[in-house]
Amino acid sequence: MKALILLGCPETPSQTPMAVYAFNKLSKIGYDVTIAANPAASKLVRISDPEGYYDLNLVDLERALGEINEGDYDLLVGFVHKDAAASFFVTFDQILNTRSIALVFERDINLIEEFVNMIEESQSNAKIYATRAFHNPSPIKVQFDKAVKELD
Amino acid sequence: MSFCLDTYLQQSDNYEIHASKAGFKDCAMIIRFKADEVVYIKPGDEVLGVRVIGIPPIPIGIDEKKGTVFIPYTKPCHGTSVVELPIDSEEMDNIRKLDTQ
Repeated sequence: MKALILLGCPETPSQTPMAVYAFNKLSKIGYDVTIAANPAASKLVRISDPEGYYDLNLVDLERALGEINEGDYDLLVGFVHKDAAASFFVTFDQILNTRSIALVFERDINLIEEFVNMIEESQSNAKIYATRAFHNPSPIKVQFDKAVKELD
Repeated sequence: MSFCLDTYLQQSDNYEIHASKAGFKDCAMIIRFKADEVVYIKPGDEVLGVRVIGIPPIPIGIDEKKGTVFIPYTKPCHGTSVVELPIDSEEMDNIRKLDTQ
């Protein structure tokens, strides 16, 4: 089983620890995990694992977008905390046409609603887990754990 | 060699930005407002050598008289922009073939 974790712009502090957390959690339940991120987000994740303990598999976001095809992954997990991240998630979701989880988080409740609407309007079958969060990764962790539990 | 939008935007100044660092929906509205002809495509459809990012149906504007297209262009940290750039008639027809509506 293969999973793709999609990272958005790295300006949200909670995204980096959650990327490592999600990579580890999905790996432990048997997924071969890849993280797709832009160069800045990628560096933040890579430097968080200086000894290579997690053996993080990082690929360039734009390159991944150009190369992926339907059936390449069994699960897509997207961090959606910006308008652009919602657009990227919907695009990857439509190309891969696989099981997908959108972790929507923002400080502003109105923006959360907007991003959720963007995903829903795309007719995506993604399971959406939304919470208010920015610096603190705990609410996202709670939602992600719930999402993983509901994968069964 | 086939056309690549990313390379073109880096190496040419023959394009116009109608909106930048905006939300996708605003950019979609600008394209529908500015273009005489609009083609609606799916996210991930390839236009000018790149997979277009967005919420379906994604509008691509065509101005046949000027020989230009308006496309949404999204980057993770910079949001979505609307770029108008010249294309040849063959590329224009390729875009029309992607129309979902």
